[in-house]
Parts: sequence; C-alpha cells; structure tokens
Amino acid sequence: MADPRWLEVSLTGDGEIVEAVSEVMGRYVSGGVVTESGVEYNDAEDEGTPVGPVRIYGFMAVDENLETTRRNLEEALWHLGQIHPLPPLEFRYIKDENWMAAWKEHYKPIPIGKKLLVLPAWLQNSFPDRIAVRIDPSMAFGTGTHPTTRLCMQALETYLEPGQTVIDVGCGSGILSIAAALLGSGDILAVDIDNAAVISTKENASANGVLDKIETGIGSVKEIKTGMFSRKRAPMVVANILAPVIIRLFEAGLADLVAPEGTIILSGILAEQASSVEAAAISKGLKPIEKLQIDDWVAQIFKK
Amino acid sequence: MAKKLKAIVRLQIAAGKANPAPPIGPALAGHGINIMAFCKEYNARTSTKAGEIIPAEITIYTDGSFSFVLKTPPAGVLLRKAAGIEKGSGVPNREKVGKVTRAQIREIAELKFKDMNANDIDAAMKQIEGTARNMGLNIVD
Repeated sequence: MADPRWLEVSLTGDGEIVEAVSEVMGRYVSGGVVTESGVEYNDAEDEGTPVGPVRIYGFMAVDENLETTRRNLEEALWHLGQIHPLPPLEFRYIKDENWMAAWKEHYKPIPIGKKLLVLPAWLQNSFPDRIAVRIDPSMAFGTGTHPTTRLCMQALETYLEPGQTVIDVGCGSGILSIAAALLGSGDILAVDIDNAAVISTKENASANGVLDKIETGIGSVKEIKTGMFSRKRAPMVVANILAPVIIRLFEAGLADLVAPEGTIILSGILAEQASSVEAAAISKGLKPIEKLQIDDWVAQIFKK
Repeated sequence: MAKKLKAIVRLQIAAGKANPAPPIGPALAGHGINIMAFCKEYNARTSTKAGEIIPAEITIYTDGSFSFVLKTPPAGVLLRKAAGIEKGSGVPNREKVGKVTRAQIREIAELKFKDMNANDIDAAMKQIEGTARNMGLNIVD
C-alpha cells in the first residue's frame, strides 16, 4: 500500500473484556477507542439488542514513535491477559483518506418506478427525464437505499392522484413527503415522534424546494386525530414504520386518517408479517389492493 | 427498528472535539454515515463538557441513517479521577498504582448503572471493581 498513514489495532472478544481493553488501548491510540457490535432481534418487538463478539479498535499514526507505541500497547495487553485471557491483537495499515467525503461513496442515484430518482444531495442529476428527490443522508431513516423506502415511493408514483393531500406518519428524512410533493400532490402533513426526523424533513424539503407544501410536527396518529395539526384526514396516507407499530397504530385510529375512497400505503413490513398487517387493516374496514415486495420487505396498499 | 438496524458503534471521544480524523472518520465512513452531521451534532450536545470523555453510542440503520445517545464517561476515566492518578498500571497484575474505596466504587456504579449491563447495583459494582483491578488499583474499605 502506498504511504499508509495509520495503523489500525483491533481485538475481537466477548463483552466482558470491553471496558478493560478499552481503558488500556485508550492510552496508546489517537483520538479514542471504538467498539462495534452487531445486532440481533429476539422478537418482532425487539428494537435490536447488541450481540457479541465486540470488536474494539483504535488507530495509531504511522510516525517515528509507532514501533514504541505499538510495543507498549502489546506489553500492556499482555499483562492484562495475565488477569483475563485475551484474544490476539490484529493489525492493519490504512491510508489517509478524506473521511469527510469517503462516506459518500455509499450513495448512488437510485431510479425508482417510471418517474422517480433518489439523488444524493451532492450529485448532479444524470437522469434528466426523472423527478429527482434530493436527500442528504443523516439522522433520520429514509436515505432511499432501503427496500421499504423504494417500495413506498413506487406505490406513491402509482396511486397518488394530482392535487391529493397527503399524511405521512413516521416521516423520517421526509423522503416520501418530498416525493409526493414533487409528484404533484396537494398539501402534506408529515409527522414523526422523533424531533431529529422533523428537523431532517424540513431541511430536505427545503433543499427540494417543497417546504411550503409540507407541514411538519412531532406526533403520531393520536396527535393528528386530536387536531394538533391543520388536517385530520387525507385521501393519501403513507406510513413506512414497522409491522408491530403499524398494527398498534391501527388500534389508535390509523384508518380514520384515510378519507373515504382514499388510499393508504404501508411498509416496514417483513414478508412473514404481511398477513397480520392485512388482518389489522381489514378489521378497520380497509380493502387490500396490492402488495409489492423487494427482498424480504413488502409494502401493502389498501383502499377505504 | 427491528431489522432496519445494522450495527451499534460506540466512540469513546473527547467532548466537543469530534472531527473526521481517526477514529471517527474510518469508523463511520465504512457504514456510509454522514460524518459532518455526526460531528456537528456530537459537538453541540457535548460543548459544555469540554475536557471529559463522553462516549457516543451510535445506532446505524441499514440505509446509512443513524441516531446516537451520549453515555456516561468510561469506568476507567472515572476510576482514575477517583484514585487521583493519571493513568492505570501497565502491569496491573504486579504493580499497583493507587487505591479506590468501596464507597467510590459504589458511586461510580450508581452513576454508570443505566449504561451498564447489570441487574442490580451489586453486580454493577463487581464490574467496576474488575475494571479497577485491571488498572492496578487496590480496593479498600
């Protein structure tokens, strides 16, 4: 490798060693220690439990002190290993990168359906025939790469009629509201229980020139029904959340947000959960119209 | 967000000083995390705690979006402060560098309890005691 600038030192082990190894490693690495664990799900309601093994790592600058620093770390961990057996350290050289830009490599324009395009905010539109939804990936779900986001956008393209008002429950980055606005909807109400999502929706809506069409707020079905916002129902409702949450929202009155003859697009649903969402929707007087699927994920469309 | 979650990354970094250099840059860029957005938000939330290590636990979703919460300082940092030492022992099995009292251990366990994987305060204290021993600290009554 040409001109490596950093040596990554890492150790992968069980949760018990994390504190002690982090404490030792923190003395020798630049800027601080990182730990990373995967996630598992105990059941559909589980929001994700960190699961071992845990990778503990840090970075040393490649300079004249490197060999000494590295040896000191190895010695300190050897001594720690006399108290608690430790897995071996692993080393990897990495080159210096413009990290501020490197993360952007993960995002490419994604054509969706016949008309739409998710466009990372910093790129030029290379698909001039498509309607570009510009998104800056950040602290709210909905960067456009997840199957559920793509499915909802595809369904909006098919089912949204010009001028229809829209309610977006769990708006995240605002991507679905923005897509609806750019497809020619009427006014939109976009709500989320997370303030970071509401901020993100406003920023993305502004970057797409549709902020004036979108009312945003913190809340969910209950707050909409109690009249906290300017509308209580719409002919198009979209909710890309998660199956158990959607089922709970039906109990809270999600179907009441759909105007007579209106449409609701639901996603965040795994294929095996589709039947329970459908049962909940039917029990509230909705008729199943279509089911779309990408990988394990489905979007379900119902009419009132 | 079941199944929409990808990984949990914890950064033990200095309050108010997050920047794209290692470890933050390489730790987050690989997951497609907006590094500037993270640094800005972390620095804003920790700006009043300059000089402290304030870990950030970042939940990474499969589409590259993320959220994070701030955690209490690492046990080692709190133990060093309690013992009045600059750093732990390089040879904790042989060379002791200081001592902490059981009351100090309890205080740290109580502070960190909500962030720890412990059922009760006694279990939390045992974990903190383990960290203290691994740093070359004697525990006294």
